[in-house]
Amino acid sequence: MIEQIITLGLTGLIFLGAAATALWKNPFDKLIGLSLLSAGVIPLIVMRGYLDVAIVVAILIPISTIFILLLLGRKTS
Amino acid sequence: MLEEFGRIVVATVIAWILFLSIDIFWRLPQKGGVSGADAIGTAISRHGGDRNGGWMMGNIICSPDASAGTLLAACGVFVAGIPGGIAAAVLVYVGNRICHDKGYAGTSGALIATFIIAGCMQIGFMASDFIAGMVLAILTIQGLSHTHASRLIGYFWRWRA
Amino acid sequence: MSIALYGAARTVLEKETLLKLPFVNVMNFGIAGLIVFILPHPLTLVAAAAYFVGSTLEANAIASAIARRKQE
Repeated sequence: MIEQIITLGLTGLIFLGAAATALWKNPFDKLIGLSLLSAGVIPLIVMRGYLDVAIVVAILIPISTIFILLLLGRKTS
Repeated sequence: MLEEFGRIVVATVIAWILFLSIDIFWRLPQKGGVSGADAIGTAISRHGGDRNGGWMMGNIICSPDASAGTLLAACGVFVAGIPGGIAAAVLVYVGNRICHDKGYAGTSGALIATFIIAGCMQIGFMASDFIAGMVLAILTIQGLSHTHASRLIGYFWRWRA
Repeated sequence: MSIALYGAARTVLEKETLLKLPFVNVMNFGIAGLIVFILPHPLTLVAAAAYFVGSTLEANAIASAIARRKQE
Protein backbone atom coordinates (compact mmCIF):
# COMPACT_ATOMS: atom_id res chain seq x y z
CA MET A 1 0.00 0.00 0.00
CA ILE A 2 2.80 2.38 0.96
CA GLU A 3 4.53 1.51 -2.31
CA GLN A 4 1.57 2.73 -4.30
CA ILE A 5 1.32 5.97 -2.39
CA ILE A 6 5.00 6.65 -2.90
CA THR A 7 4.79 5.80 -6.59
CA LEU A 8 1.79 8.10 -6.95
CA GLY A 9 3.60 10.91 -5.16
CA LEU A 10 6.69 10.49 -7.32
CA THR A 11 4.64 10.50 -10.51
CA GLY A 12 3.04 13.71 -9.27
CA LEU A 13 6.50 15.18 -8.73
CA ILE A 14 7.54 14.22 -12.26
CA PHE A 15 4.48 15.80 -13.83
CA LEU A 16 4.82 18.88 -11.65
CA GLY A 17 8.44 19.24 -12.65
CA ALA A 18 7.67 18.76 -16.33
CA ALA A 19 4.77 21.24 -16.30
CA ALA A 20 6.79 23.79 -14.32
CA THR A 21 9.74 23.45 -16.69
CA ALA A 22 7.49 24.02 -19.68
CA LEU A 23 5.58 26.96 -18.25
CA TRP A 24 8.32 29.00 -16.58
CA LYS A 25 10.03 31.56 -18.77
CA ASN A 26 13.31 32.29 -16.99
CA PRO A 27 15.99 29.76 -18.10
CA PHE A 28 17.25 29.30 -14.56
CA ASP A 29 13.72 28.45 -13.46
CA LYS A 30 13.59 25.85 -16.19
CA LEU A 31 16.75 24.25 -14.83
CA ILE A 32 15.18 24.14 -11.39
CA GLY A 33 12.15 22.47 -12.97
CA LEU A 34 14.42 19.79 -14.45
CA SER A 35 15.79 19.30 -10.96
CA LEU A 36 12.24 18.66 -9.74
CA LEU A 37 11.76 16.14 -12.52
CA SER A 38 14.91 14.18 -11.81
CA ALA A 39 14.09 14.21 -8.10
CA GLY A 40 10.95 12.28 -8.96
CA VAL A 41 12.68 9.82 -11.25
CA ILE A 42 15.55 8.69 -9.06
CA PRO A 43 13.45 7.08 -6.29
CA LEU A 44 11.54 5.14 -8.95
CA ILE A 45 14.83 3.68 -10.15
CA VAL A 46 15.78 2.78 -6.58
CA MET A 47 12.40 1.15 -6.00
CA ARG A 48 13.01 -1.31 -8.79
CA GLY A 49 16.32 -2.25 -7.21
CA TYR A 50 18.68 -0.74 -9.78
CA LEU A 51 20.91 0.92 -7.21
CA ASP A 52 23.95 1.22 -9.47
CA VAL A 53 21.82 2.81 -12.20
CA ALA A 54 20.43 5.22 -9.60
CA ILE A 55 23.94 6.22 -8.51
CA VAL A 56 25.03 6.85 -12.09
CA VAL A 57 21.91 8.82 -13.00
CA ALA A 58 22.06 10.84 -9.76
CA ILE A 59 25.58 11.94 -10.67
CA LEU A 60 25.03 12.46 -14.38
CA ILE A 61 21.95 14.68 -14.25
CA PRO A 62 23.52 17.44 -12.11
CA ILE A 63 26.66 17.26 -14.24
CA SER A 64 24.59 17.84 -17.37
CA THR A 65 22.91 20.79 -15.62
CA ILE A 66 26.35 22.23 -15.01
CA PHE A 67 27.19 21.74 -18.68
CA ILE A 68 24.00 23.50 -19.69
CA LEU A 69 24.95 26.42 -17.43
CA LEU A 70 28.39 26.62 -19.02
CA LEU A 71 26.87 26.63 -22.50
CA LEU A 72 24.20 29.21 -21.51
CA GLY A 73 26.86 31.49 -20.07
CA ARG A 74 28.89 31.35 -23.21
CA LYS A 75 25.93 32.26 -25.43
CA THR A 76 25.03 35.48 -23.62
CA SER A 77 28.62 36.73 -23.43
CA MET B 1 1.89 4.86 16.45
CA LEU B 2 1.56 7.87 18.71
CA GLU B 3 4.74 6.90 20.50
CA GLU B 4 6.61 6.87 17.20
CA PHE B 5 5.33 10.36 16.49
CA GLY B 6 6.71 11.51 19.84
CA ARG B 7 10.08 9.91 19.08
CA ILE B 8 10.23 11.67 15.74
CA VAL B 9 9.48 15.01 17.43
CA VAL B 10 12.27 14.51 19.95
CA ALA B 11 14.61 13.41 17.15
CA THR B 12 13.70 16.57 15.23
CA VAL B 13 14.58 18.75 18.19
CA ILE B 14 17.88 16.94 18.73
CA ALA B 15 18.76 17.18 15.04
CA TRP B 16 17.79 20.87 14.94
CA ILE B 17 19.99 21.78 17.90
CA LEU B 18 22.82 19.61 16.62
CA PHE B 19 23.11 20.93 13.10
CA LEU B 20 22.52 24.57 14.02
CA SER B 21 25.15 24.54 16.75
CA ILE B 22 27.75 22.81 14.56
CA ASP B 23 27.13 25.15 11.65
CA ILE B 24 27.33 28.22 13.85
CA PHE B 25 30.43 26.81 15.53
CA TRP B 26 32.10 26.57 12.14
CA ARG B 27 31.16 30.17 11.40
CA LEU B 28 28.87 29.40 8.51
CA PRO B 29 26.84 32.63 8.89
CA GLN B 30 29.98 34.73 8.73
CA LYS B 31 30.09 34.99 4.98
CA GLY B 32 28.80 33.26 1.91
CA GLY B 33 31.25 30.42 1.37
CA VAL B 34 30.76 29.97 -2.36
CA SER B 35 29.46 32.63 -4.73
CA GLY B 36 26.06 30.96 -4.96
CA ALA B 37 25.63 31.06 -1.19
CA ASP B 38 26.42 34.76 -1.26
CA ALA B 39 23.77 35.38 -3.91
CA ILE B 40 21.10 33.53 -1.95
CA GLY B 41 22.04 35.35 1.26
CA THR B 42 21.73 38.72 -0.43
CA ALA B 43 18.37 37.79 -1.94
CA ILE B 44 17.03 36.77 1.47
CA SER B 45 18.27 39.98 3.07
CA ARG B 46 16.61 41.96 0.31
CA HIS B 47 13.29 40.44 1.35
CA GLY B 48 13.75 41.59 4.91
CA GLY B 49 15.79 38.79 6.37
CA ASP B 50 19.01 38.91 8.32
CA ARG B 51 22.10 38.90 6.13
CA ASN B 52 24.21 36.52 8.20
CA GLY B 53 21.27 34.17 8.55
CA GLY B 54 20.76 34.32 4.82
CA TRP B 55 24.43 33.50 4.21
CA MET B 56 24.18 30.45 6.39
CA MET B 57 21.05 29.31 4.56
CA GLY B 58 22.88 29.81 1.29
CA ASN B 59 25.78 27.78 2.63
CA ILE B 60 23.40 24.98 3.62
CA ILE B 61 22.09 24.82 0.06
CA CYS B 62 25.33 25.16 -1.87
CA SER B 63 27.63 22.93 0.12
CA PRO B 64 27.31 19.83 2.29
CA ASP B 65 27.28 21.17 5.84
CA ALA B 66 26.21 19.73 9.19
CA SER B 67 22.62 19.36 7.97
CA ALA B 68 23.74 17.12 5.12
CA GLY B 69 26.17 15.41 7.47
CA THR B 70 23.49 14.65 10.03
CA LEU B 71 21.04 13.40 7.42
CA LEU B 72 23.55 11.10 5.75
CA ALA B 73 24.84 9.92 9.13
CA ALA B 74 21.28 8.97 10.07
CA CYS B 75 20.94 7.09 6.77
CA GLY B 76 24.30 5.43 7.39
CA VAL B 77 23.38 4.26 10.89
CA PHE B 78 20.04 3.08 9.50
CA VAL B 79 21.62 0.78 6.93
CA ALA B 80 24.76 -0.35 8.73
CA GLY B 81 25.08 0.84 12.33
CA ILE B 82 28.08 2.87 13.49
CA PRO B 83 30.32 1.75 10.58
CA GLY B 84 27.58 3.03 8.27
CA GLY B 85 27.63 6.39 10.00
CA ILE B 86 31.41 6.63 9.64
CA ALA B 87 31.12 5.65 5.97
CA ALA B 88 28.57 8.45 5.59
CA ALA B 89 31.06 10.89 7.16
CA VAL B 90 33.68 9.81 4.61
CA LEU B 91 31.16 10.32 1.79
CA VAL B 92 30.32 13.80 3.11
CA TYR B 93 34.02 14.66 3.27
CA VAL B 94 34.45 13.63 -0.37
CA GLY B 95 31.35 15.62 -1.28
CA ASN B 96 32.79 18.69 0.43
CA ARG B 97 36.00 18.46 -1.54
CA ILE B 98 34.08 18.00 -4.79
CA CYS B 99 32.18 21.22 -4.05
CA HIS B 100 35.50 23.03 -3.46
CA ASP B 101 34.59 23.58 0.16
CA LYS B 102 37.57 23.44 2.48
CA GLY B 103 35.52 23.40 5.66
CA TYR B 104 34.81 20.54 8.02
CA ALA B 105 31.26 21.38 9.05
CA GLY B 106 29.80 18.45 7.15
CA THR B 107 32.30 15.83 8.23
CA SER B 108 32.26 16.84 11.88
CA GLY B 109 28.47 17.03 11.79
CA ALA B 110 28.27 13.54 10.37
CA LEU B 111 30.66 12.05 12.93
CA ILE B 112 29.04 13.74 15.93
CA ALA B 113 25.59 12.80 14.67
CA THR B 114 26.65 9.17 14.22
CA PHE B 115 27.58 8.89 17.88
CA ILE B 116 24.56 10.79 19.12
CA ILE B 117 22.23 8.63 17.05
CA ALA B 118 23.94 5.43 18.17
CA GLY B 119 23.65 6.62 21.76
CA CYS B 120 19.97 7.42 21.33
CA MET B 121 19.42 4.00 19.86
CA GLN B 122 20.46 2.53 23.20
CA ILE B 123 17.58 4.34 24.89
CA GLY B 124 14.99 3.22 22.42
CA PHE B 125 15.13 5.46 19.36
CA MET B 126 15.29 4.03 15.88
CA ALA B 127 17.68 5.44 13.30
CA SER B 128 14.73 6.01 10.98
CA ASP B 129 13.33 8.48 13.55
CA PHE B 130 16.43 10.54 13.01
CA ILE B 131 16.12 10.46 9.25
CA ALA B 132 12.60 11.82 9.49
CA GLY B 133 13.66 14.18 12.28
CA MET B 134 16.51 15.70 10.28
CA VAL B 135 14.33 16.23 7.22
CA LEU B 136 11.72 17.93 9.42
CA ALA B 137 14.41 20.11 11.02
CA ILE B 138 15.59 21.28 7.61
CA LEU B 139 12.00 21.95 6.65
CA THR B 140 11.62 24.34 9.57
CA ILE B 141 14.75 26.26 8.65
CA GLN B 142 14.67 26.32 4.86
CA GLY B 143 11.11 25.64 3.98
CA LEU B 144 8.72 27.73 6.04
CA SER B 145 9.72 31.37 6.05
CA HIS B 146 13.09 32.51 4.86
CA THR B 147 12.98 35.87 6.58
CA HIS B 148 12.07 34.50 9.99
CA ALA B 149 14.51 31.62 9.83
CA SER B 150 17.33 33.90 8.77
CA ARG B 151 16.55 36.28 11.63
CA LEU B 152 16.60 33.40 14.09
CA ILE B 153 19.97 32.23 12.78
CA GLY B 154 21.26 35.80 12.84
CA TYR B 155 20.22 36.05 16.50
CA PHE B 156 22.15 32.90 17.38
CA TRP B 157 25.12 34.12 15.36
CA ARG B 158 25.36 37.37 17.30
CA TRP B 159 25.31 35.30 20.47
CA ARG B 160 28.29 33.31 19.30
CA ALA B 161 30.37 36.06 17.73
CA MET C 1 7.70 11.80 0.90
CA SER C 2 5.17 14.42 1.89
CA ILE C 3 7.98 16.77 2.82
CA ALA C 4 9.47 16.31 -0.64
CA LEU C 5 6.14 17.16 -2.24
CA TYR C 6 5.71 20.16 0.04
CA GLY C 7 9.15 21.42 -0.96
CA ALA C 8 8.28 20.94 -4.61
CA ALA C 9 4.96 22.76 -4.19
CA ARG C 10 6.59 25.74 -2.48
CA THR C 11 9.20 25.80 -5.25
CA VAL C 12 6.52 26.14 -7.88
CA LEU C 13 4.69 28.80 -5.91
CA GLU C 14 7.71 31.01 -5.23
CA LYS C 15 8.19 33.79 -7.74
CA GLU C 16 11.77 34.86 -7.22
CA THR C 17 14.25 32.46 -8.73
CA LEU C 18 16.92 32.72 -6.07
CA LEU C 19 14.41 32.05 -3.34
CA LYS C 20 13.17 28.92 -5.10
CA LEU C 21 16.45 27.27 -4.25
CA PRO C 22 15.89 26.82 -0.50
CA PHE C 23 12.61 25.03 -1.27
CA VAL C 24 14.33 22.82 -3.81
CA ASN C 25 16.85 22.05 -1.07
CA VAL C 26 14.04 20.89 1.24
CA MET C 27 12.74 18.64 -1.50
CA ASN C 28 16.19 17.15 -2.07
CA PHE C 29 16.58 16.36 1.61
CA GLY C 30 13.23 14.63 1.48
CA ILE C 31 14.13 12.57 -1.56
CA ALA C 32 17.50 11.55 -0.10
CA GLY C 33 15.75 10.29 3.04
CA LEU C 34 13.07 8.60 0.97
CA ILE C 35 15.43 6.51 -1.10
CA VAL C 36 17.08 5.13 2.04
CA PHE C 37 13.68 4.31 3.51
CA ILE C 38 12.39 2.36 0.55
CA LEU C 39 15.43 0.15 0.13
CA PRO C 40 17.56 -0.40 3.27
CA HIS C 41 20.79 -1.70 1.81
CA PRO C 42 24.35 -0.43 2.32
CA LEU C 43 24.62 0.61 -1.31
CA THR C 44 21.53 2.79 -0.89
CA LEU C 45 23.60 4.99 1.41
CA VAL C 46 26.02 5.59 -1.47
CA ALA C 47 23.08 6.31 -3.77
CA ALA C 48 21.59 8.79 -1.27
CA ALA C 49 24.97 10.47 -0.78
CA ALA C 50 25.55 10.64 -4.55
CA TYR C 51 22.08 12.10 -5.08
CA PHE C 52 22.59 14.62 -2.30
CA VAL C 53 26.02 15.77 -3.43
CA GLY C 54 24.64 16.01 -6.98
CA SER C 55 21.73 18.15 -5.83
CA THR C 56 24.07 20.38 -3.82
CA LEU C 57 26.41 20.82 -6.79
CA GLU C 58 23.48 21.60 -9.04
CA ALA C 59 21.97 24.17 -6.68
CA ASN C 60 25.38 25.75 -6.22
CA ALA C 61 25.95 25.94 -9.99
CA ILE C 62 22.55 27.53 -10.58
CA ALA C 63 23.06 30.08 -7.79
CA SER C 64 26.56 31.08 -8.94
CA ALA C 65 25.42 31.33 -12.55
CA ILE C 66 22.64 33.69 -11.48
CA ALA C 67 25.16 35.66 -9.43
CA ARG C 68 27.53 35.92 -12.36
CA ARG C 69 24.79 37.02 -14.71
CA LYS C 70 23.67 39.75 -12.30
CA GLN C 71 27.20 41.12 -12.20
CA GLU C 72 27.33 41.68 -15.95
